Amino acid sequence: MSEPSGDTAQIPCSSKVCRRLFGPVDEEQLRRDCDALMADCLQEARARWNFDFVTETPLEGNYVWERVQGLGLPKFYLPAGPRGAWDDLGGGKRPCTSTVLLQGTAQGDHVDLSLSCTVVPRSPERPEVSPGGPGARQGRKRGQTSMTDFYHSKRRLVFSKRKP
Amino acid sequence: MELLCCEVDPVRRAVPDPNLLYDDRILQNLLTIEERYLPQCSYFKCVQKDIQPYMRRMVATWMLEVCEEQKCEEEVFPLAMNYLDRFLAGVPTPKSHLQLLGAVCMFLASKLKETIPLTAEKLCIYTDNSIKPQELLEWELVVLGKLKWNLAAVTPHDFIEHILRKLPQPREKLPLIRKHAQTFIALCATDFKFAMYPPSMIATGSVGAAICGLQQDEDVSSLTGDALTDLLAKITNTDVDCLKACQEQIEAVLLNSLQQFRQDQRDGGKSEDELDQASTPTDVRDIDL
Repeated sequence: MSEPSGDTAQIPCSSKVCRRLFGPVDEEQLRRDCDALMADCLQEARARWNFDFVTETPLEGNYVWERVQGLGLPKFYLPAGPRGAWDDLGGGKRPCTSTVLLQGTAQGDHVDLSLSCTVVPRSPERPEVSPGGPGARQGRKRGQTSMTDFYHSKRRLVFSKRKP
Repeated sequence: MELLCCEVDPVRRAVPDPNLLYDDRILQNLLTIEERYLPQCSYFKCVQKDIQPYMRRMVATWMLEVCEEQKCEEEVFPLAMNYLDRFLAGVPTPKSHLQLLGAVCMFLASKLKETIPLTAEKLCIYTDNSIKPQELLEWELVVLGKLKWNLAAVTPHDFIEHILRKLPQPREKLPLIRKHAQTFIALCATDFKFAMYPPSMIATGSVGAAICGLQQDEDVSSLTGDALTDLLAKITNTDVDCLKACQEQIEAVLLNSLQQFRQDQRDGGKSEDELDQASTPTDVRDIDL
């Protein structure tokens, strides 16, 4: 990675390992399947988090979403370029997918971890999750297990920055 | 003027952390959570229509070769296979997507485990440019979504040090045992038979197979046979009979691979296409039998 232009030159094209295994790849089918699966993921995420990741709007459900501004995140975590502005809702290159999920992937090899909204569960079980914010209001209890396995790293990122 | 030329390994590794390796709670926690990361079903029977078991072996062999040529960390290949199996257990996939999927899984596993990860461009070259970096990046998100971003899967490698430190082997024998066990683990990852086995069992069986294999040439262990199996089984809470069966399967897979390799060497002049079908992990040659 230190010399991204040079590292591909080291693989000789004749290397026995460079080979296609299953014949030609149908680009069109690849694109269709990618879009369908991505839509699938978004639908799943939408139901799970009561949040529309395409339009980036909160929906009715178990979680209260609130927009957060100026988290003091390092630039690295902020979406770059014209499609990265906070209010550029759903302004990704491909309209069918959310910027939350797709942010910055075209820029490099790494999926950026960034969120423009904070999810605040109504359950007060985990104090670090609702540091006195509007999310601390009472609500029905809900297990935290599903919270921890999706967007786990994102959530940690956001909340660790919120602590003084 | 005299010049001194030092070669510095560009990859920086953390030193082994005794707080992690010498604490039994870590081992117990690994044993508790490992099942969460197993594929949900035997997908050739219930999910896949196009993909056949031999195709998984083909893509696995290719992935192992890429990882070896790129000198990836040992864990990258088994972890990538875990992603591949978990994805295929949930998503019916045409065979024409399988190599792309394998590349995506290596891409993700490498990023999780390596200081200097594989790049998208490199991986695309290894597919003979049948896929583009952009496609790789888009499918990366698909795979992440389908795996629910649960990437920190437990692999057999996580257990190796925990097992080795509880064996009464002389310290100087450990590096060789470790190396052979790692090769067995890679071998298991190429074979679908082992995809649904808990990683702790594969690790325990691989260490057992490594010690038994090495024992034939030199004295690496004061414990052998049933006594060794009993101790190994106790370390990872594995059923003794299951462990025996697993170790026998591992040894059978090795034998099979070696025969295949010798076969390939005899038929040295065969066509490129046939070579592609070979299922011999190259590392097997390093094992002395």
